[in-house]
Amino acid sequence: MAMGSLVCAPGSSNAYQGSKEGKLRKIRLYLAVWVAKLAFLAIRLMKRQGSHMPGYLALKVFPDLLAHLAKPKRIIVVTGTNGKTTVVNLLAETLAGEGLATIDNRLGSNTDAGVASALIQGVYWWGRTKADVAILEMDERSARRILPGVRPEFLVCTNLTRDSVKRNAHPEYIAWIISGGITPETTLVLNADDLICARIGGVDSRRVLFGIDRLPSDTTTPSGVARDLAICPNCDAELVWDYWRFNHIGHAHCPSCDFASPQADYRVTAIDRAEELVELDLDGRAGSARLLNDALVNVYNQIAVMAVLDRFGVATDRILAAFDHLSVPATRYSAQMIGEVTLVRQLTKGVVGVACSRAFEHIAAAPGPKALVMNIDELTDIRSDCENICWTYDADYEYLADPSLRRIVIGGVRRYDQALRLAIAGVDPKIMTTVAEERAGADLIDLTGMARVYNLHSVHNTVVTGDFVQARLLQRLREAS
Amino acid sequence: MRIEMLYPEVANLHGDNHNIVYLGQCRPDAEIIRTALTATPAFVDSAVDLIYLGPSPESAQVKALARLAPYRERIRELIEEGTAFLFTHNALEILGETLQTADGSEVAGLGLFPLRTRLEMLNRYSGKVLGRAGLGGDPVQIVGYKTQFSFVEAAEDLPGFLTAERGIGRNRQTRVEGVRQGNFIGTSLVGPLLINNPEFTKQLLAVLDPDTEPTLAHEDLIMSAYQARLADFTDPKRWHPWEQLES
Repeated sequence: MAMGSLVCAPGSSNAYQGSKEGKLRKIRLYLAVWVAKLAFLAIRLMKRQGSHMPGYLALKVFPDLLAHLAKPKRIIVVTGTNGKTTVVNLLAETLAGEGLATIDNRLGSNTDAGVASALIQGVYWWGRTKADVAILEMDERSARRILPGVRPEFLVCTNLTRDSVKRNAHPEYIAWIISGGITPETTLVLNADDLICARIGGVDSRRVLFGIDRLPSDTTTPSGVARDLAICPNCDAELVWDYWRFNHIGHAHCPSCDFASPQADYRVTAIDRAEELVELDLDGRAGSARLLNDALVNVYNQIAVMAVLDRFGVATDRILAAFDHLSVPATRYSAQMIGEVTLVRQLTKGVVGVACSRAFEHIAAAPGPKALVMNIDELTDIRSDCENICWTYDADYEYLADPSLRRIVIGGVRRYDQALRLAIAGVDPKIMTTVAEERAGADLIDLTGMARVYNLHSVHNTVVTGDFVQARLLQRLREAS
Repeated sequence: MRIEMLYPEVANLHGDNHNIVYLGQCRPDAEIIRTALTATPAFVDSAVDLIYLGPSPESAQVKALARLAPYRERIRELIEEGTAFLFTHNALEILGETLQTADGSEVAGLGLFPLRTRLEMLNRYSGKVLGRAGLGGDPVQIVGYKTQFSFVEAAEDLPGFLTAERGIGRNRQTRVEGVRQGNFIGTSLVGPLLINNPEFTKQLLAVLDPDTEPTLAHEDLIMSAYQARLADFTDPKRWHPWEQLES
């Protein structure tokens, strides 16, 4: 049931009639759409994939394309440091299951060009929209180029934590970027447990908040390097944490004034991992649903999706039932038993200290003696961008200063930096070996007596190093078992 | 040895506070004082050997400025007396005449150095720097990284921390990087500076305690990392076009 309209300016069906300027704009708009559609055609004919170039070309032809292109009547934009793709996937699948014609950019770019590509794919050659709803993933830094033109009904922000220091600087900066693009008609769907995310937008912005109630694993004492909201924004007093989860995620209040974390409208009240259930309070309505995935970030994603679906108008019973069938994409983590040993492969995204901290925390928490093959240099950072290794000091390597860590082989160009960082964190240099060739670690690591063996690699070396090390470790463990 | 870290609860970006973590490991006997925004700094009424302020978000930079304003004359006095300071990344800007906020407005700085700061919030600069600097000893090669929105314009006669042999300095038009006055070091270089530059750190340790032979924690590893980076940074192929001065 496509609810299309002719290509037109937002809020005006006759914006292109009359003035010469309007007619010229209409011509450029059609030209931009056709250029993009021809680019899509060419990409398909070449049997290639690409969602950036068509939108990029369209925006070159008509920079105001996003504002003037016919769009679905309902648009949901999803942004945030982690979880964007998962939330878009879940929303797109659920809304398609509701019988709506959807478009999205989940297989493509999330910049303004990627969003333009997705929206152009959602219109016919003559401009009529094909879809009822667009679900668009948005790169946080692209907010000011996307939001003013797209003017979504909902903007979901999953969380704002530290990311690449070069691109994203710090979470407050990203909050500032996003806030600068928000338009008045947008309802913000925000993480109440993230005091930076929860405060984006203006004083008049409509907000819907989601969160997770206190968990048994929460503490009241923050730790770690990356703490981006430690003081009251009003009076500078150190915040008191009612419960603290990680980074600046949790629930806090100021001891000196009335500043406090907001209360969430949509809450996970309990997580039952054994029964794979989440207990819920959906804006005052109690319920339960299947736990999608037990990683906390995915529990946040799940409650964010529920909040949007509820405000979108999907019936509560259908929201709850939807999670019986949904799944999250394969994580960047896998574990398999070989005899008595667990072989763990974990993508540990170099350059993003916070992501490394979560990986290291997970390693430290696992039982038994462990050995690590560690290749988390971000080589692309050296070759095609400007290297900056300061991210290693923005990551909590201190988790690895645990007696259960028995051997570490560190490979790669920056192996001495990694080893030094580990030593400063308290890891005994005697358990470390450095080697220039990344893949050599798979043979150098002594596996004797280990309960768990880890293959840590970054993004760029997933195949060249990660796959090789995984295969070789698997082979060695099988031979030994 | 007493080291004061100012406002670590907000000035803690880019892992730079590990400058002080590392100094603490080189000198386990050192007293490290972490002064909160709401507290009176230790340097106000007691002797401190090193005063450190690290990178902060733009809003926290303004908060730090406001908190330090009452102690402007004390800071001037300490700089003139030769107390060591290490102000990294955007911390140096607080001591200038003006700095800019994210919304473009200007704020008066402490006015201790003839420099002004402008922000390019939508045009972040990232690059490497290679140069030489010494502290109470022969100049040694310095390697470091920049990742910043802010650019400093300073009086031509204001001495820099170093002159970049490669990479940019206070802004895209000068090779002069940071500020050096006596034992005051202000630099936009992150990495952290003292971990990436062990030879310089040794000189700093000697300045902080002339009676004790300086020793580096994890010396083998830190020197290996330094030598590897230095070899990279002296290779012309490692430099990108945007890391060169604008003409």
